[in-house]
Amino acid sequence: MSGSLSLKPSYYEALKRLTAELVGVKLGDDHTFLVETRLATMARKEGFENLSQMVDELFSRGQTRLAIHVVTALLERATSFFDGRAGYEAMGDILLPKLHPLYRGGSVRILSYGCSSGQEIYSAAILADKLKHVLPDMDIVLTGVDYPSQALERAKAGRFTHFEVQRGLPIRHLIKYFDKDGEDWVVKRSLRNRITFIDHNLLADIDQLGTHQIVMFRGRLGQFTTPARIRILRGLGRLVSANGYLMLGSHEKLDDMNFGFEREMVAPGCYQKSQKQYIPEPDIQDSLQEQTDQERAINNTA
Amino acid sequence: MNTTTKTCLIVDDSKMIRRVATRILRDLQFEPSEAGDGREAMEMCRASMPDAILLDWNMPVMDGLSFLKALRSTNGGTKPVVVFCTAERDVIKIAEALDAGADEYVMKPFDSDILESKFSEVGLLG
Repeated sequence: MSGSLSLKPSYYEALKRLTAELVGVKLGDDHTFLVETRLATMARKEGFENLSQMVDELFSRGQTRLAIHVVTALLERATSFFDGRAGYEAMGDILLPKLHPLYRGGSVRILSYGCSSGQEIYSAAILADKLKHVLPDMDIVLTGVDYPSQALERAKAGRFTHFEVQRGLPIRHLIKYFDKDGEDWVVKRSLRNRITFIDHNLLADIDQLGTHQIVMFRGRLGQFTTPARIRILRGLGRLVSANGYLMLGSHEKLDDMNFGFEREMVAPGCYQKSQKQYIPEPDIQDSLQEQTDQERAINNTA
Repeated sequence: MNTTTKTCLIVDDSKMIRRVATRILRDLQFEPSEAGDGREAMEMCRASMPDAILLDWNMPVMDGLSFLKALRSTNGGTKPVVVFCTAERDVIKIAEALDAGADEYVMKPFDSDILESKFSEVGLLG
């Protein structure tokens, strides 16, 4: 990449609009550096000479595939093992023990929605392995889902750098669950095989993902616009089974709308599926209608 | 100075590493002290046991593993939390350090995030 070529402010504004319209994520003004470094790498991979050429192509021809790739690259987030430790404590001390009597002899499904490079679902898998003698006769089936991305490919490979394995992962877990491979560390096959990773396209139907007893969607609410947040939470409400739980970040709340969950949290950020029939409140339906119209408009222009 | 400030002894034969670690640990509200090899560290521990020890492996005079074994058999030597900090990345070496009584293990190179994460792991922060 030529160092002198940086993104025109008008292009940056256009990318911000695209991300907000396509997935409802608000990119801040302080994200310029991130946008440039990520997209420059992607531009080279896509065969463009530089970033400006790729963005020119994107906005002059409006290719859906390229737009989705660009937005996906922008959404990739850095994650670390056992990030937000309180959430894993809640999962091991409260959620799984509450599910055990109901699912003993069967299996409990855990989904990491937006799993990025996989640290969250691998941490859940390690926790599940540690608890196998405490919660016997209950299989824990794990799924990580995200947009097709480089991060998701790394999650599937279970390959992490020297720096990544030293953030949040106790050394005893490292030597028990990983093998050293050159400079990297690779998740052992026994743990890796417990997790299914799914490529879930940006605009695909969330209901294809089935139902799960625990759905993890932690620390992400703040980045979405209000209509997008409502749409996602409503979708996640359908992914959580009866008796199941939604895990937000420890400092996140559902606020006034319950999306089919009990209003009282069982642990910070953790909500149980309500036993009552969920009827969307009128204001939610209005927002959803608005969002659907917006999506239709994007699809028509693409 | 805050009476609850924890002390950490940095044991490394590299002056540069000691300087970097000192700066990071000060930022994490520790009161750091330094030793250049295991024997010097042992003398300092006998005088006053620190709350934590950040320990290199390969050093002249007395290496980190020998120091750790000696420390753990000394009166009061089970108290300090010991975090190895070494270029040794072999799983067998890591297991050997843990068996000898290390609480955590940092592989060099490291940064402030890694030290903070590891110190938090063993309950030294917050």
